Amino acid sequence: MSYYRGICNFCGTGCGHLLQVEGNRVRGVYPLPGHPLSRGRLCVRGWHIHELLQTEERITSPLIREGNSFRPVSFDEAVDFTASRLKTFSGREVAFLGSPRASNEENYLFGKFARAVMKSNNLSLTSDAGLEESSRVLLEGCGLPAMTGSLSALRQADFILVVGGDLTKQNPIIASEIHFARRSGTFVATISPRKTQMARLSQKHLRPNPGTIWLLLEALARALRTEGLVRGDDLEERVENARQYLEYLDSLDLKQASESTGVEEQEIISLARKFYESESAFAFYPVGIQSLDRRSMSALLNLFLLAGKLDRPAGGMCPVTGISNLLGSLDMGVSPAFLPGYFPVEAEESWRRFEELWQVGLNRTPGKSAAACLQEDRSIKALLVVDHDEEIIRHVNRIKELEFVVYFGAYQNAFASLATVIFPRLNYVEGDGTYTNSERRVQLSQKKVEPPAGIKPMWEILSRLASALGQPWPYKSAEEIMTEISRVVPQYSGLSHEKLRASLGLRWPVDDRHPGGTEFPLAEETGRGFKFVFDGAADRRQSLRSGKEGVFPFKLVVGRSNYFWHQNSVMKRTFIPRREYNALLLLYPNGFVEVSEEDARALGLREKQPVRIVSEAAEIRLATRISPDILPGMLYIPYFIEEMISGFLHRQVSELEKNEEFFLPVRLEKVE
Amino acid sequence: MDNQLVPIVTVPEVATVVDIREEIADVRTFYFTFDRPEIERAFRIRSGQFIMCTVFGAGEFAVSLPFSPENDRKHISVRKVGKVTAALHELQPGDKIGIRGPFGNGFPFEEIKGKNVIYVAGGIGLIPLRSSIVHVLQHRPDFGRMILVYGARSSRDLMYKDSIREWQATRDFETHFTIDRPEPGWTGQVGFVNQLVAGLNLPAENTVAFVCGPPVMFNAVIKELKLKGIKEQDIYSTLERHMKCGIGKCQHCAIGRTLVCVDGPVYTYRQIKTLGEQI
Amino acid sequence: MYWLPRDQVRALVNRLAESYAVYGPRRDEVSGEVVFDRLEELERLDLQAAIPYNPPKHALLPQYEEILKYLYSKQSQKVTIEKISKVEPKALVGLRACDLNGILCLDRFFLGQEFVDEIYLEHRKKLFIISNTCVRPFPQCFCVCTDSGPAAGEGFDLDLTCAGQGYLVLVGSKKGQRLVEELGLREAGSEAQNLREKIVAESVSSFDNFALENKAWVSRATNRLTTGFIKPEVWEYIGNQCFECGACSFVCPTCSCFNVEDVNRVDGPTDRVRTWDSCSFEGYTKMAGDHNPRKPVEDRRNKRFFCKLSYSQSKKYLRPGCVGCGRCARVCPGDIGLPNVVTYIRREITGE
Ligand SMILES: Cc1cc2nc3c(=O)[nH]c(=O)nc-3n(C[C@H](O)[C@H](O)[C@H](O)COP(=O)(O)OP(=O)(O)OC[C@H]3O[C@@H](n4cnc5c(N)ncnc54)[C@H](O)[C@@H]3O)c2cc1C
Ligand code: SF4
Ligand code: SF4
Ligand code: SF4
Ligand code: SF4
Ligand code: FES
Repeated sequence: MSYYRGICNFCGTGCGHLLQVEGNRVRGVYPLPGHPLSRGRLCVRGWHIHELLQTEERITSPLIREGNSFRPVSFDEAVDFTASRLKTFSGREVAFLGSPRASNEENYLFGKFARAVMKSNNLSLTSDAGLEESSRVLLEGCGLPAMTGSLSALRQADFILVVGGDLTKQNPIIASEIHFARRSGTFVATISPRKTQMARLSQKHLRPNPGTIWLLLEALARALRTEGLVRGDDLEERVENARQYLEYLDSLDLKQASESTGVEEQEIISLARKFYESESAFAFYPVGIQSLDRRSMSALLNLFLLAGKLDRPAGGMCPVTGISNLLGSLDMGVSPAFLPGYFPVEAEESWRRFEELWQVGLNRTPGKSAAACLQEDRSIKALLVVDHDEEIIRHVNRIKELEFVVYFGAYQNAFASLATVIFPRLNYVEGDGTYTNSERRVQLSQKKVEPPAGIKPMWEILSRLASALGQPWPYKSAEEIMTEISRVVPQYSGLSHEKLRASLGLRWPVDDRHPGGTEFPLAEETGRGFKFVFDGAADRRQSLRSGKEGVFPFKLVVGRSNYFWHQNSVMKRTFIPRREYNALLLLYPNGFVEVSEEDARALGLREKQPVRIVSEAAEIRLATRISPDILPGMLYIPYFIEEMISGFLHRQVSELEKNEEFFLPVRLEKVE
Repeated sequence: MDNQLVPIVTVPEVATVVDIREEIADVRTFYFTFDRPEIERAFRIRSGQFIMCTVFGAGEFAVSLPFSPENDRKHISVRKVGKVTAALHELQPGDKIGIRGPFGNGFPFEEIKGKNVIYVAGGIGLIPLRSSIVHVLQHRPDFGRMILVYGARSSRDLMYKDSIREWQATRDFETHFTIDRPEPGWTGQVGFVNQLVAGLNLPAENTVAFVCGPPVMFNAVIKELKLKGIKEQDIYSTLERHMKCGIGKCQHCAIGRTLVCVDGPVYTYRQIKTLGEQI
Repeated sequence: MYWLPRDQVRALVNRLAESYAVYGPRRDEVSGEVVFDRLEELERLDLQAAIPYNPPKHALLPQYEEILKYLYSKQSQKVTIEKISKVEPKALVGLRACDLNGILCLDRFFLGQEFVDEIYLEHRKKLFIISNTCVRPFPQCFCVCTDSGPAAGEGFDLDLTCAGQGYLVLVGSKKGQRLVEELGLREAGSEAQNLREKIVAESVSSFDNFALENKAWVSRATNRLTTGFIKPEVWEYIGNQCFECGACSFVCPTCSCFNVEDVNRVDGPTDRVRTWDSCSFEGYTKMAGDHNPRKPVEDRRNKRFFCKLSYSQSKKYLRPGCVGCGRCARVCPGDIGLPNVVTYIRREITGE
């Protein structure tokens, strides 16, 4: 036999594949037809994962820095050295950066190592604060911190609303599933400023001005009211804070919203009606670098609550994760906000629960994300990082100042060169591990090839470190760790590797009541409290303008590219996806910015004309690409040009993160 | 031709770069000889053919053969544009390259004997035409009038200056040069090649044209040639396509119903029109 | 014709396994799907299984294959180049007729044009092929439209047709004859030929109406494609739905396009690798320095269907490039597999 079942490890769709293994190498990949979600499809990335798995640019031995170079050392030496250094730091002096590409087992242990061994709560994932935000909003609004809908039920849906991003590029197979739904009669509407392929595949495309998605969503809700479709008294029975919310909502003037968003009132009303009349409705939105902001997520949730769509058996809110195990990593509590299983750090019971389960005392002082630590906290002295994409390195200079950096990684990259100690990691086909996709589907990926000699699984590295630091950990396999997870994380209580081996993934909660997993958690749980999520700041609607329009008249939106997005260090080790990326770069060797036809005409821009994009914090030189997909007043840069990411975006990352609308006010200057 | 070598199809033959010449910015000419004497002796080409050249450690790329099938040093002239061509530009005399080929159909030679021949080239478009020019010159009495019209952006962008000097010295070979903008010391014409072609006094009958250059120039020149009454099937050009194998298998070079590496790279304008793609 | 009792299939396969790596259809325990795979455990071979999700192409044209290995030392100016030819003999057992026809297309393309592809030839000359008649068609199939099934006509060493408690065995080559004799199979008797014809006729008549109806349309679509009489809007409609994943090419038994890359290995040498490629990608035709003759995705879709159905391409395969296996329809995220495209062309013709 040479084809083995597995799951694609690129994005949060979690498609099923068959890996062709010959000798000890992965030689090919093929879609797995029986997979309940991907049903025999893969996207261009998934079709070339074997090219990545062929690469020999691996880190194969533990390394310790000596001056400007690294010395290969034995595993024992690396462990002893690391433990002896870690001993010298207190919990608040250390930060932990986990990887959304690592398995649940690895993430769980990494988090446990941080909290239980190092007594540090400075623990987070790379850049994707969007998912955490989404989880908080959903938790608050409906009690479930993740997708309330199901991806395998889309073809029976009446209505699908896709908000923001371009799903056809980020999670192509989810977009395909929506496309199939449309072809079998579902009404698909897209809300995005850009005319994405997803928008082209929809019956309806509303194009709000950049930064006004949330307002358009509130306007849709408002339209349900003005059309007399939702009555207050019904609502009060269903949703906790209905009265306050309606007050907030009814203060919105539809006409004014239509003006601000640039979407005609009639369009808003007719889409609202269509939505209201549907039996089952789904909303999709990306979480990750192109994530919706909190305000839009809440507005979307409120819209669904208002129309009573969340307590129906089919339908729901569907945040879509951009990286394979992004959701799982959060499930495992790699977050400053949650302990494993979404126990909030603010609650004293959470800590008591984990002290009992882990049998150690914990540090209750709240932690921060690793990024926040590096940015704000001068007391941070050490950093532990798992498989980080080099392009997302921010704060390089700050990291260089740290006393001690440990990097756990499979491939050589720029981040590794910042480390004091490097531990080689297995890649995902060299060990067992579970991964949780966007729809809460926990899937087991089994070991398919032997790792290069000397590379130890993450659990072994962490166990040795924990033991050296005085907490003997007993783990002997990834399977055992899942057994512990099932005791600690209620949503995973019915899961085990044994059970997963015989399935194509189970959707959490998997527990005594749902041994086979749960498709629509909200529909099955009764008595869940619904709550509108809003901050009541109706006056913010007036302050839509940045106030800097005079100096920075354009709104710059940053997007992903199918082939590259923000996984440069992964994609560059493939042939075809790399070529497709290069194909664009050949045309625009220094990157491009998309400008609407109207603006190009007004500014007298030619195709490929060099321009300078200037924001408050930085500037970058790019070539013009005139695009019919762009609204006037808007600019678009795909998030895959290295220079842009390191030189331009990172200087304003904090602004991007603060800026809830996710656009950057900029000005465009012609370079002759 | 006896002892003609069958093309090298799969495993590249090792050759040594013996000499490197700087032509114009980013374009260098690499002279080479095969390491195995029997290959060096037997390697035969037709004008207009190309080879697949391996730069060891970097990859393989398609490149025209600018030398004459007879009595000419073997060389290629390459512009640095990407990964493999950049690696080639790193090479020093004495370094090795790998060669497969020659591939492709090549320019007509026997068929055009007795006719007037006009070559029109823009920029590095002279590279693929050079072989035919030298070959026809070597058989000068067999042909009618011979004209070369060559244009580039500036005098610094003119390829093969030494060869051109020789050609200019040849009797019975009309040459016309042009650059886009005037320059001090430039004695040739100023303007685009198509304007030069327009000004030529050409007999429509019994004339064949070889045209090679960037798409814009190509289209403009074709227009002029047609105005002069030259038939579409008497206008030849070579096409360039993404290539990976050179032997008609990878299909990257497919255009219309043909594969450039085996059915081309030389096409008549009449064929090109039916291919249904941009040039 | 010979008779192979069902309980002797194992004997046949065991015999093959002595000199070949045996490939055949097997079922995946968990997903229940059929994979055409290399079988170390011969009992996994399942001749009753449905048409495999993957074609047997990977046995002849691997998805990732090193074709050369070289080492260049600049210091000593020495180059060693080695052709990789560790190709093992393979027996493909239980090929469906469409897939056998797919291999015949590949043969004509790789071996029958201006040049012989030496790497393909290495694989091909060491094959032993046993085809297997589809006594009933599977839902995705339309080989009756493309003249490539449900039973094989040529190209096999042995051909099996299930009839009750065993298989009717047709011999297609000397190698096949030798094997039949070694196994001591008995002649199937005078009625065997008729019986096989009857079984095949029954199979043909049980094809989906869609497949039967479309027979005429496939050839009309071929006509239109060849003459270029398809409106650009049709290609645009199709192109808009393409996700540019390449799947339609990768799963097609007759798609053979490949990419070549030189990969430097950490221990010094470089491998020249060829991998599957697809005309659906933008970079497939893109040239250095900014020029792509085939740019919009519509063009690229047009190219694929031209390749699969036009007369000019058929000349290379000596038959249409589509063998009616229906796989491209199953894997396409855009739902624009070949049958749907034929439907769109049909709609255009009839104005439905
Ligand atoms: C018949 C023919 C004759 C040619 N003659 C010459 C010549 O005499 N001088 C010269 O400088 N160039 C010539 N070229 C172009 C040359 O082949 C490309 O510039 C070269 O392949 C670029 O490779 P790269 O790796 O440097 O570029 P990259 O951009 O890194 O390209 C990667 C790969 O894409 C393919 N590719 C990209 N562009 C082309 C292209 N234009 N043609 C074919 N394949 C391409 C190649 O496989 C290449 O290895 C010719 C091309 C063809 C088809
Ligand atoms: S959609 Fe995501 S999980 Fe599926 S094949 Fe593509 S990258 Fe892999
Ligand atoms: S075009 Fe589609 S149906 Fe036809 S042979 Fe290829 S994969 Fe099968
Ligand atoms: S359809 Fe496309 S990928 Fe398939 S053989 Fe033809 S050109 Fe190649
Ligand atoms: S399988 Fe479908 S979506 Fe993918 S490249 Fe082919 S036609 Fe396009
Ligand atoms: S270069 Fe491969 S077919 Fe022409």
